[in-house]
Amino acid sequence: MRRFEMILPSSVDECVKALATHGAGAKTVAGGTDLLPQMKNGLVKPAVVVDLGGIAALKGVTNGAGLRVGACATARELELHPEVRKRYTALADGAALVGSVQVRNLATVGGNLCNAAPSADMAPPLMALEAEAVIAGPKGERRVPLSAFFTGVRQTVLGADELLVALVMPAPPVPPEAGLYVSGGSYIRHTPRRELDIAVVGVASQVTVQNGRCVKARIALASVAPTPVHATAAERALEGQPLTPERIEQAAGLAVEAAKPISDQRGSADFRRHLVRVLTRRTLTAALARARA
Amino acid sequence: MSVMKTTRDVKGVGLSIPRPDGPDKVTGKVQYVADITPRGLLHAKLLRSPHAHAKIVRIDVSKARALPGVRAVLTAADIPELKGKPASRAHAVLAIDRVVFAGQPVAAVAADEVAIAEEALDLIDVQYEVLPASVDPLQAMKPGAPPVAELGTEADLSEAMAHSAVAMAKGETPTKAVNVSQTAHVKRGDVAKGFAESDVVLEHTYRVPMVHQGYIEPHAVLAEWDRSGNLTLWASTQGSFNTRSEVADVLGLEENRIKVIPVECGGGFGGKIRALCEPITAILARVTARPVRYVMTRREELEAGMPAPQVIIRLKTGVKKDGTLMALEGETVLESGAFSGTVLAVSAVFLGSLYKWPAFDIKGSEVLTHKPSVAAYRAPVAPQSIFAIDSQMDALARALNIDPVAFRARHLSKPGDPMANNQPWASMGAPEVLQKAGAHRVWKEREAWKKGAKPGTLRGVGLSLGGWLGGLQPTGASVKLNPDGTLSVLTGQVDIAGTNIALAQIAATAYGVDIDKVKITTGDTDVAPVTGLSAGSKTVYTVGVAVLQAAQAARKQTFEIAAAELEAAVDDLELVDGKIVVRGVPGKGVTLQSIGKKGNLYMSKVEPVIASSHPAFSQQAPAFASQIARIELDPDTGEVTLKDFVIVQDVGKAINPLAVEGQMQGGAVQSLGMALTEGLVYDDQGRLTNPSLLDYRKLTAADLPNLETVIVEVPSPAGPFGARGVGEPPIIPAPAAIANAIADATGVRLTEAPLTPERIALALARRGAG
Amino acid sequence: MPKQILSFTVNGDKVDLLVPPYVTLLDALRDEAGLTGPKEGCGTGDCGACTVHLDGKPVASCLVLALQARGRSVRTIEGLGTATALHPLQDAFVRHGVPQCGFCIPGVLMAAAALLEEHAAPTEEQIRYGIAGNLCRCTGYTKMVAAITEAAGMIKKGAAR
Repeated sequence: MRRFEMILPSSVDECVKALATHGAGAKTVAGGTDLLPQMKNGLVKPAVVVDLGGIAALKGVTNGAGLRVGACATARELELHPEVRKRYTALADGAALVGSVQVRNLATVGGNLCNAAPSADMAPPLMALEAEAVIAGPKGERRVPLSAFFTGVRQTVLGADELLVALVMPAPPVPPEAGLYVSGGSYIRHTPRRELDIAVVGVASQVTVQNGRCVKARIALASVAPTPVHATAAERALEGQPLTPERIEQAAGLAVEAAKPISDQRGSADFRRHLVRVLTRRTLTAALARARA
Repeated sequence: MSVMKTTRDVKGVGLSIPRPDGPDKVTGKVQYVADITPRGLLHAKLLRSPHAHAKIVRIDVSKARALPGVRAVLTAADIPELKGKPASRAHAVLAIDRVVFAGQPVAAVAADEVAIAEEALDLIDVQYEVLPASVDPLQAMKPGAPPVAELGTEADLSEAMAHSAVAMAKGETPTKAVNVSQTAHVKRGDVAKGFAESDVVLEHTYRVPMVHQGYIEPHAVLAEWDRSGNLTLWASTQGSFNTRSEVADVLGLEENRIKVIPVECGGGFGGKIRALCEPITAILARVTARPVRYVMTRREELEAGMPAPQVIIRLKTGVKKDGTLMALEGETVLESGAFSGTVLAVSAVFLGSLYKWPAFDIKGSEVLTHKPSVAAYRAPVAPQSIFAIDSQMDALARALNIDPVAFRARHLSKPGDPMANNQPWASMGAPEVLQKAGAHRVWKEREAWKKGAKPGTLRGVGLSLGGWLGGLQPTGASVKLNPDGTLSVLTGQVDIAGTNIALAQIAATAYGVDIDKVKITTGDTDVAPVTGLSAGSKTVYTVGVAVLQAAQAARKQTFEIAAAELEAAVDDLELVDGKIVVRGVPGKGVTLQSIGKKGNLYMSKVEPVIASSHPAFSQQAPAFASQIARIELDPDTGEVTLKDFVIVQDVGKAINPLAVEGQMQGGAVQSLGMALTEGLVYDDQGRLTNPSLLDYRKLTAADLPNLETVIVEVPSPAGPFGARGVGEPPIIPAPAAIANAIADATGVRLTEAPLTPERIALALARRGAG
Repeated sequence: MPKQILSFTVNGDKVDLLVPPYVTLLDALRDEAGLTGPKEGCGTGDCGACTVHLDGKPVASCLVLALQARGRSVRTIEGLGTATALHPLQDAFVRHGVPQCGFCIPGVLMAAAALLEEHAAPTEEQIRYGIAGNLCRCTGYTKMVAAITEAAGMIKKGAAR
C-alpha cells in the first residue's frame, strides 16, 4: 500500500468534519475487506483514511418495532444474531455467505453497501426487507430507501462528506402479534465454490401471506445489473395471488426481465438470466415455507 | 505394517512416522524467505507492463529516483548483461524495447519500505506503443498472426529434460511457422484403414485452460553480496543447484561465487523450478550494496507467474462393435505463452501409449502467445492428456455399452508393450491399480447408489486412470557416523512434501539403526552434495537410492572397523541394538558409539565413517493412479457436489504411508480444482481477468469430502525398497473422472475444463431445448 | 509520515509498538513485534494464511490496519500453545502428518482454534466450513479434518478431567 495518514474519530460528528476537511482524498475504513484490496491493488490511493472503529454509534444491532443495524455491525454479528436469524432470515442468509469467517468477522454491513458492488450479498436481503439508509452529513441526518441508495457500479447517493450510520427496517410480521399475517424471507446465491466466493447471481425474496394469499412480495437481485435491483414486475404479479408453484414460476420468469446482466469471467449473461429464474423460484419457495413454519 | 529387515527389525522403512519439522511448522517457528529480515534490508518492487504486446518507446525514471527512500531504480538499459542473451523467461529480467506479455517487468525499484517502492513505481513514466497481440493459441498458429518471438522461434527443451519424463518422441525440426516453437509426431500403422474398418468413430476436442500451481507462499527471494563479489541467495526454490546455475547464467557469474540457501519452500508444484525473480533481486542488491528482498504479491503470481500451459487436444478414435480398438488420430496444441518450454512429447506419448491402439497418428505443436510463459505443474501436461484419452475411452465404452473398467482393462498396456515412441513400457502397476479401483465398493455399488438420488438431483459415478513415467536426475547424498553412534544424513534436497523423513527412514533401515538415531539435513549449495530438483516424482526414487547406497557404504565401513577390532570376518558380524556383535557370540561386540568416537579422537588411527554416493539413473519407474468420483448434480444450477472420492495408486513401496497418503490427497485436490473450478481467464487483449484467489478458485475444505486412499504396491526394480514416485500420479485422473461422472449422471459429455456449473447447466438447458 | 504508538495486547502481553499508519496488523505483527508465524499468502483476505484472533475472533490480519487494533487483544499462532507444550490442535496436526509445506498451517490452526472455542464437538461439516477460509494446496484437507476432530475430543476429555 502507498503511504497515507490515519484519522481516528470517536463520534459521528468528528467523522463528518474530517470527511468535510479532506474531501475526496479521504476514505473511511471499517472492516477493510473491500477497501484494503483496492488500495493494495492501487485502484484507490487515499491520502487520508478515517477509521470508523472508534465510533460507538455505528455499532450494534438493536431490535425494537423494527431492526436497526449499525453500519459497522459485522456480517458475522448478523449471521449469528438470534433475532435476525428468526425474523430477518434473508439478511442472516446473505450475511452468512460473505467471504469466509475471517472476512465476516471484519466485513460490515455498511461497507458491503457503500462499496456498492452489484454482487453485494447483503444488499438484496435489505432491499427485500425494505430497509432505509440513515445517512449523517454536515447538515444533519437524512434517510434514503435502500432501493434508491445505489446509483451505479461502485456509486451511491452518499456525498464525499456523508457517512452511512445505520440501516433501519420494519419488522416482517410473524404470528402471533400479526394475526393472520405471516412473512418469510430467503436469500440464495450461486457461486462455483461454497465459501470464499462472489455471487454470480443472488436473489432475495420476502413474502407476506394472509389467508393463503400473498399481500406483499419483495424480490431483489444481485449481480445482474450495475446495481442491486428489485424485480418489480415479478413482485406485482405475486401480490394478491395465492403462491402456487405456477404463480411462482411465472414470477421467476418476470424476474428474468428485470435482469440486465453482462458477461464476465464470473458468468455469461445467458447463465445469469437462467440463474435468476432458478433462484427466484427457489427463494420464493423457501420464503413461503419459512412464512408457514 | 511390514518392516524391511536388515540384521534386525529396525524402525525405518514402511512406518507412518510424522515428519520431524512438524512441531516447528505448527507453532509458526519455521522461517520462510519473507520471514528473514537482515539489518539494512531493502524492499524490491517491479513495474510490470499493462499490455500483452507493446513497444517500449521511452521510460522516464527520474521522478522515481528522486523520491526519498528510493535506493535504486533500474531498467534494462542499466543492466548491460541482459543484451545478447537468448530469448527465455529467465533472461527476460527486465523488458528490452518490447514487452511480450501483460505483467512482464519493465523496471525495478529497491527502497527502504515497500510503500515507498510502490510509490516509486507510480512515478515511473513508460510510453508504450501498443501492438496487436496473439491471445488464442489456435489463432496464433495461423499465418498473419502477430509474432511473439522476434526472429522465428526456438524450442526450449530444458523443462522436458528437467523432468526427463519421456525419451523424446521423434521431434521434428522446429518449424518456422508463425508462433509454432516445437512440434512432435508419433505414428504407427494405417490410421485411414483403421477408421474405414471401424463401426464407431468418436471425435471430441478437449480443452484445459492455463492453470496456476497455486502454492500458498508466493515467490520470494533475499539477496546479499559480500565485498569480494560472492552472492548469497535465500530462495524459495524446488532446486537450489538449478537456481544457482540459472542465476549464474543470467548474471554471467561463476557458480562457486553463488551460494543458494534453500529456505523452507511454501509449496512449488513445478512453479518454483525455474528462476523468476532471483536474478533481478540479485542485481538490485549488487547495485545498492544492501540486502534486498523481493516477495511477489498474489496478483503478480497470477498475472506473471509461470502457469501450466493451456492444452487443446482433438481426438478421433475408431472401434469395432465388439470393442476392438482400431485407430486413434490426435492433434495436441500446447500454449506455451511468450517463451518456449512445454513438455510436448509427454502428451503425444501418453495419448498413444496408455492403450494398445494398432494404428495411431498423433501430432503435437507448441505455440507461443502473448501471455506469461509456462512452467511445469505436477506431472506437466499429464492431467490434460489423460482428460482427453480417458474421457474418450469412457465415451467409447458408453457408446458400445461395455463396462468402462473392463473396456480399459482389455486394452491397457502392460510392462513390455511398446509405447508410442516404441520404447517398451517399464515395470508398472497400471493393471493392478485399475483392477483394485474396479473392485472398490464406490465403483461396484454405483447403480444402487444412483437409484437413491433425491428428486430434482442427479447422481453419477466416474472413474479414470492415469499415470506418469517418473523423472530421473543425478544426485548425491552423504551419511556419517557421529561420535555418539547416531547418523547424520546430508543432501541438498529441498523437502516440501515430507521426503526428508522418508530418506531418513531409508538410511535407518539400510544402515540398521532406528529412525530416532538418524538426522537428515538439507544443506546449501556450498556444503551439500549436488542434488537434483524436488520435482518429477523422483526425490525418493533417486535421492533415496543415493541415501540407500551411502548408508550401505557407511555400514560397510563400520563393519570393517568392527571386524578389525573384533578380529572377526565382516560376514560373521551383525548389528543389534546399536552394537556390532559376532553372530552367535553375544558377549563379543563393539558399539557404534565407540566406533564413532574413535573416528573423531585425537591421535586415533581409526578412520571416521563417512560415506557418500552420487548415482546417475537410466531406468524410470512409471506410476499410476485411478480415481473414483461419486457426484450429486443439481441440473438447474449445474452445481456438482462431490460425495465420495477414492484414490487408488501404485507407489511401489510406501516408505512412509502417512506421507504417501498426504501426497495422494493433496494431488487429488489439485486435480479436482483443475476439473471443477480453476482456470486463468484472459480477455481478448491478453490481460488476466481473475487475478485474485477470490476469482482464481482453488477448492476449499467446504467443497470436498474426505478423500479415501488405497495404496497399491507393485515394486519397482530400481527404486529404493521398490519405491516409485508418488507426487505426480494423483494430480492426473480427476478431470476425466469428474467428466465421466457427469456423463454418467446426465448423459452429457463435457470436454472443456473446468467443468463449471455454468457449462453443465447450459449444456443441460441446451439439451432440454433441443 | 510520523509513526504512531499502537498499544494493544498480543498473546496476553501488553505491547506498545511504533508503527506507520499505512501498515496492516499483519505487517505490524511480523515486522515490529517479530511474530512471523502469521503468513501473507494473498494480502486480500482470500487465503487465510494471516489468520489471527482479534478480540477472540478469527480475522484476516492482512485486511486490518495496524492502528485499528488499538486497545484490542490479538492472539497469534505463537500464543496458541505454551513455551513447553503444544495446544491439542497443534499436537494432533503433528501426529496426523498434516503439515507439508507448512505455509498455511498457522492460519488453519487459528481458524480451527476459534471453531473449537465456538463448537466444542463440531461436525465434519462445521469443521469444513470453519476452515473454508483457509486455502491449503498440499494436504487436500482430509488429514486436517481428522486432526481437528481428534483435538476436539482431546480438549473435551481434558476439560472433563
